[in-house]
Amino acid sequence: MAVKKLQNYINGEWVDSATSEFVEIINPARGEVLCECPMSTRGELDSAVQAAKEAYPDWRNTPPVARARYLHRLIEMMEDNFNELSVVQTREHGKTIDESRGETRRGIEMVEVASGIPTTMQGFNLEDIAHGIDEYAIYQPLGVFSCIAPFNFPFMVPLWFLPFAIACGNTFVVKPSPRAPMSQSKLFEMLDDVGLPPGVVNMVNGGAEIADGCMEHPDMQGVTFVGSTPVARHIYKKCGETGKRVIAQAGAKNFIVIMPDAEIDKAMVSLISSFFGNAGQRCLAGANLLVVGDDETYKNVVDKFVEAAAAITVGDGLDESVQMGPVQNAESKQRILKMMEKGLEEGAKLTLDGRKPKVVGDLPEDCFLSPSVFENVTPEMSLAREEIFGPVASVLRAGDLDEAIDIIHSVPYGNSSAIFTNNGKWARQFQHDVIAGNVGINVGIVAPMAFFPFGGMKDSFFGTLHGQGQDVVRFFTECKVVISRWF
Amino acid sequence: MKLNTMAAVMSFVSEIEEESASFYEKCAAEYPDMKDALLSWSKENRKFEKNVKRTYFGVITDTLESNYAFEGLDTDDYAFETDVPGDISKVAERAHEIEAKIKTFYLRAAELSEGLMADIPRLFKKIAKKKEDRRIPE
Repeated sequence: MAVKKLQNYINGEWVDSATSEFVEIINPARGEVLCECPMSTRGELDSAVQAAKEAYPDWRNTPPVARARYLHRLIEMMEDNFNELSVVQTREHGKTIDESRGETRRGIEMVEVASGIPTTMQGFNLEDIAHGIDEYAIYQPLGVFSCIAPFNFPFMVPLWFLPFAIACGNTFVVKPSPRAPMSQSKLFEMLDDVGLPPGVVNMVNGGAEIADGCMEHPDMQGVTFVGSTPVARHIYKKCGETGKRVIAQAGAKNFIVIMPDAEIDKAMVSLISSFFGNAGQRCLAGANLLVVGDDETYKNVVDKFVEAAAAITVGDGLDESVQMGPVQNAESKQRILKMMEKGLEEGAKLTLDGRKPKVVGDLPEDCFLSPSVFENVTPEMSLAREEIFGPVASVLRAGDLDEAIDIIHSVPYGNSSAIFTNNGKWARQFQHDVIAGNVGINVGIVAPMAFFPFGGMKDSFFGTLHGQGQDVVRFFTECKVVISRWF
Repeated sequence: MKLNTMAAVMSFVSEIEEESASFYEKCAAEYPDMKDALLSWSKENRKFEKNVKRTYFGVITDTLESNYAFEGLDTDDYAFETDVPGDISKVAERAHEIEAKIKTFYLRAAELSEGLMADIPRLFKKIAKKKEDRRIPE
C-alpha cells in the first residue's frame, strides 16, 4: 500500500506540495514508515504568507470575543479527539501514551487561556493627563506570524503561539517539525473544521528552506521557535537583520540540586520523571543531579536514584506497561551514544549503563536506550555542560548551596533549575540567586502553566518576551498610545 | 500483571468496572427478585468508570509523574470471580466480595497517586467509600 503523503494547508485548503523531495516519518518504536512529509518549496511558503496577509485585515477587524469563539470550538474538537491526538504523538515521537495525553492536555490549556483574549488584550487609560486631555494605550495586532516547531513536543509547542496569535487578530503560518509532523496535520484538520476564514491559519511542511523563508519574508512580522541553541541564536540574529519580532526558546542543561535535608524518598518519583520522562528529550528535563552534602547523603541519594532509574521499563509508548519510550530517531541515539563515550573518555564513571537497552517486546533497537547515570562528573566535563537530550543523568557534588549555585552558573544555559529541600532559607536563596528562567522548589519539571510565561535565560532563550501567558499576548500585539483632546 | 503507569491503571479501572457491571446484569437476568439492586450497581459502576476517565483526561499533564508512581500495584491482587452463582443466596455474597476487591484497589491506587493529581485520589477514595456502603438487601 502506498504511504500517505502529508499535505500543506494554505488559504483554507489542503494542497499537495509541488516538491519532489519527501522524508519518511518513522515510528521510532516499531521502525514502520507512517507517512511521508514534503520538503515544501519557498514558493509554497510565499503562498501561505500571501494568504495570511490577505486574511489579516478582515480578521483583525473581527471582534476579539468572536475570534475567541473559534477557539472555544477548537477546544471542543480537541476534547472530542483527545485520545486520537495522543496516539498520533506517541507513534510519531515515541513518548509514552501518558506523556502524549499530558501533551494534549497542555495544548488544550493553551487554547483555553488564549480564548480569554477579550480580557488579556485590554489596554489602559488615564483621564486628565493635562487639563481636558486623556491618554490611553491600546494593543493592536501586527499581521502575519509564524512558528518553527520542534520534534520533542510536536503537538503542543505550536499551541504556545498559534491560539494567542490569532486571538490577538494576527494570522499565522506553522512549519511543523519534519521529524514529527503528523499531530500538526491532525490539529489543522480540526482548525479546518472550526471554520476559520481562509488564510487565518496555514501550515507548510518542510525543513530549513521554509524556516529561512519565515525569517526572510518581508510580510512576516515575527517568528517563534523552540529548538536547539545554535539554531535559536541564528534565528535571533537573522530576525534582527530583517526587523522581525522573535521568541527563540533554545537548549538547556538543567540542574536539580539535592540538599542534605531533602525528602529524598518523596522526591524520587519527581526526579526520575524529570530526568527520564520523554526519554530525556525535554528542554525542562533534569540533566545534572547536583548533590550537596557529605558522603552519606550522597550515597543515599545516588543509590536510590540509580535503583529507580534501573527499574524503568522501556518499550513502545503505546504499551501501557512502558514507562519510557525510544528517543525520536536513530541519529539521536547515535549522537547520545557518542556523548556518552566522550564522557567516559573524560573520566566520568558510568554507574548505570543504558547503552544496551532492555526493551519490552520484540522491537527493533535502533532508537532505544535505557536510562544511564554517570557519577564522578565535574563541572568542566562535557557531560555537565552540553545538552545531551536523551535519558542520561550526570551526578555532580557540591559542598554547600553557594558552591552549587556557582556550578550551575558555570554552564552556559539557564532554562530551569530546581532545588529539593525542606529549608525555606535555602529555597529562598536559590530562587533569588539562581540564573534560570524557570525555578523549581521541590518540583522536578518546572513547566510553567499556559497563563504564565515560559521562561529561559542565558543561552536558553533569545528574545525579550516569552511564550505563553501575558508575555505572548504582548509579543503578538503592538502598544499604541493615544492622547486626545476635544475642543 | 503489574500496573506501573497511570494509563495502565485507567485501563484496569475500565476492566474491573465493566466486568463487575456485566456480572450484575447477568445476575439480574437470572434472579429477577434482585434485579433492581443489581442493575443499579451495574449502572453506577459504569458511571464510576466514566467519571474516573473524565477526571484523568482532565488533569493529566506532561509534567506529572504518572509513569513512575504506581509501584506495587498488581492486577492479580484484585482478581474476582464473575461466574453467576447457581444459588440466589450466594449472589449478594459474591457481589460484596467483588465490591470489596474493587474498593481495595481504589484505596491502594489513591495512596500511590496522592502526591500527583489531587482529583484522582480524591475520586478513587470517594468511589471506594460508595462501594463500602453498598449492601444488597437480604
